[in-house]
Amino acid sequence: MTSSTHNISMTLNGEKTNALVEAHTLLIDFLRDAQNLRGVKRSCDMQICGACTVLVGDHPVSSCTMLAVDADGADVVTIEGLGDRDNLDPVQEAFLEFGALQCGFCTPGMILATKALLFSNPTPSRAEIEHHLSGNICRCTGYQKIIEAVESLAQT
Amino acid sequence: MRKESPPDNNTARADLIDKVTGGAVYASDIRVPRMAHGRILRSAVPHARITRLDVTEASALDGVVTILTGEDMATLAQIHWGLFLNDRPVIAIDKVRYVGEPVALVVAETLEIAEAALDLIDIDYEHLPFVDTAAAAIAPDAPVLHDVHDAIADFYFTGQAKPVAGTNIFQKFGVSTGDATAAECDAAHIFEHTYTFPGVSHFALEPHSVVAAFEGDDLTVWSGAQSPTAVQKVLSRVFGIAVANIRIIVPFVGGGFGGKASVKIEPLVVAAARKAGRPVRVTLTLAESMLTCRRLGATMTLHTSLDKTGKILSKRATILLDGGAYADTGPAVAAKAAHRIIGPYDIANLEIEAKAVYTNTVPGAAFRSIGGPQAVWATESQMDEIADAMGIDPVELRRRNLLPRGGEILDTLRPLDADIGDMIGRADQAIMNLGDGAAAGIAVAATDPGILPLGGALVRVLVDGSIIVMSNSVDIGQGVRTVLREVVAKMLNQNPNSIQIANPDTSTTPFDWGTGASRSTVIMGLAVEDAARDASDQILALASSVFDGAPNDLRLVPGGVAHGDEFLPFQDVYHRAFGVDSGEVVGRAMVTPTRDGSDFKKSPLFWETAVGACDVDVDQEIGTLSVTRYVGVADVGHAINPSGAEGQEEGAAVQGLGHALFERLDYVDGQPVNATPIAYRVPAIGDIAKRAHTVLIENGDGPGPMGAKGMGEGGILPVAPAIANALARRYGIRIRDLPLTPERIWRALRKRGDDAT
Ligand code: FES
Ligand code: FES
Repeated sequence: MTSSTHNISMTLNGEKTNALVEAHTLLIDFLRDAQNLRGVKRSCDMQICGACTVLVGDHPVSSCTMLAVDADGADVVTIEGLGDRDNLDPVQEAFLEFGALQCGFCTPGMILATKALLFSNPTPSRAEIEHHLSGNICRCTGYQKIIEAVESLAQT
Repeated sequence: MRKESPPDNNTARADLIDKVTGGAVYASDIRVPRMAHGRILRSAVPHARITRLDVTEASALDGVVTILTGEDMATLAQIHWGLFLNDRPVIAIDKVRYVGEPVALVVAETLEIAEAALDLIDIDYEHLPFVDTAAAAIAPDAPVLHDVHDAIADFYFTGQAKPVAGTNIFQKFGVSTGDATAAECDAAHIFEHTYTFPGVSHFALEPHSVVAAFEGDDLTVWSGAQSPTAVQKVLSRVFGIAVANIRIIVPFVGGGFGGKASVKIEPLVVAAARKAGRPVRVTLTLAESMLTCRRLGATMTLHTSLDKTGKILSKRATILLDGGAYADTGPAVAAKAAHRIIGPYDIANLEIEAKAVYTNTVPGAAFRSIGGPQAVWATESQMDEIADAMGIDPVELRRRNLLPRGGEILDTLRPLDADIGDMIGRADQAIMNLGDGAAAGIAVAATDPGILPLGGALVRVLVDGSIIVMSNSVDIGQGVRTVLREVVAKMLNQNPNSIQIANPDTSTTPFDWGTGASRSTVIMGLAVEDAARDASDQILALASSVFDGAPNDLRLVPGGVAHGDEFLPFQDVYHRAFGVDSGEVVGRAMVTPTRDGSDFKKSPLFWETAVGACDVDVDQEIGTLSVTRYVGVADVGHAINPSGAEGQEEGAAVQGLGHALFERLDYVDGQPVNATPIAYRVPAIGDIAKRAHTVLIENGDGPGPMGAKGMGEGGILPVAPAIANALARRYGIRIRDLPLTPERIWRALRKRGDDAT
């Protein structure tokens, strides 16, 4: 099981990061294991659920099906880079305010997918919200409060 | 003297903030030093004898630590374990009973190595005849999965399963009152219908994940387990370790719904850690979790007789449940299904029999309202069929048969503590408020949560006025921490933000039966309330010596104790009482069936009730159904955390929507053909009703703190029958098998068309 290794550099949560990764290392493993960013959640492992969503540039990406080497040169943001306890991002704030989470396992991905939606479309309609978040599964909330949270952001 | 600080009300926020920042640590995030990684080789065949299992080549692979197989089981104190029947080996021993059963566990330095080693294991099977449906399992010549039935009494649930020797039946449970046969002789109408409900997956987003580590004789297990003390007890039996030497720690859990209740992969991972001589972590893939447990599928036949006015005279029901390869808590599911199929109706003559049987499929297990959605699907579909046949409005037929508040569904059970008729009225009103008139379909339900009133808690008031609550209630997303914090804050009159809820940890925290059956708000709520009261009594006693006053002149205020307008912080109370500026007060409590002031003798402690009302729209070209409006009504006694309670109802309703429209674990020739996240569809954000509303009824009449009842399961119950009833009403087609797939709807529409011509 030998495999080639590559030097990659990326902006990770705002900081320049250089690393040596194997060619087959998935972005999710690089983030969770090498970078200790456990807010990146692993669920389906096959690009169905969106729990592992991170931002690459302004786009939502399933880190379970992207190679770390393909993020070379990119600007990558995980939930840890969005906001912290004392300085929450408005999307995090809205999810709290509307109770748009229960177990929280889908939440980092859901929040980042919402972030990406608002980058590309600051005033999405309900249909647009549904379309954009259709790749993010939540088994707990029934989505009602997620929709309310995102709609509240769309109005501002 | 200092100022009292004002109380702060935004308590839910404290529990959720770690989850929006990525700081929450889940079971699958746990890493411990020297940890090795496990991957499981699973049976690819439904039923077979293992004739050869050769791990030589795999073991030789660089980086493989050890490989656990059936051969290692001989050294265990107890090889087969279970909650009702000791039927499940820690890992397959010479026989496999379903596709997905663990046959070998490779422990390696990395997951990649473990994965590579799986391919090097050689295994040969001698195939055995298999059964992949419950009907096949009870056929006279069916292959029998388990030669012996080792039923254990009162092990974790009260009572004992009643298996039938020499068959696949592992539980038979009956309910009989009056004389159904005689009643049928007097009846004006008798209706017989059969309904089916398939096995469905929990699909909690976080797969099962366990880390096990021995240190000498001490075992520590981190698991996303809903019932830490059940895990502890089973591990104690299997490995012959004293309960006190087993520590179960439960971090945040990424969804449970019953799929992480009782005991799942913990014995397997502990066996691997023991053999490896170092900590082992096993995190399943979501596809593997789908091969670990599921809801029991059911076939239910109802014979219901009525007089000519529409009064139900009798109900006979047979319920056949597909329990999968190992019983798990299936016996309780069967017993509950038998109660839950009655409905909140006044029926004098009942004859109900539930059977749960082994099949060569994924083991059945608890899932949000055990046996409830299945039973309510049958009963509430049939109510509409009867109404239709008799020309009575379906709501009117229900009203003619509903029990009033205080009525008895069975005389062995606590009288109904909710007014279902009123709930129907509120559902009607709420759906009208959504526009477009009355509901097209409704369904009602009353279920008896199987709650064991046994759980303890500690409330520690520390010197600086911060408070730690120690409870083994697990945060599976249901918001239990917020509820407990509210209860303690209220009892001690403290700022909720000064209260920490510790992670469940059996080494520091009193016994609790487990997190499930909607019990935590009531049982753990009362336990922390009692423990807080105990702490309060102790603090006031200390303060009375300090203030030189009787305790009843004293009162707790945020941050300390007040006496008239004098205020002393906890720190000063402790300082003066203990002589040092240190110390703490520990309040403790254990809720038991004989708790003072509670009436826990009769089951259930409260009824979980639900009404669902909806309207549907079908694309008749392709048969797809969408729910256009949905209203759920629940009687929760008191919502301690209103937004959380609403979220529980909404989430339950959407799981019910999944069960109604999409979900079915499919078997073809003993193979689970859609047990992967790609092939198995759960509701996505676009699938939910565009207009929806939840009504919570709060009369403060529950047995929990502030009059709360347990909740969170009821909302799943009425969804499927309400949708099927709406489908029948709007489109004239009746479907008795779930899920209501486009194909089934399309075929039914075609058949309706053909019948009409
Ligand atoms: S874990 Fe990546 S999409 Fe599900
Ligand atoms: S909150 Fe649990 S999956 Fe979304």
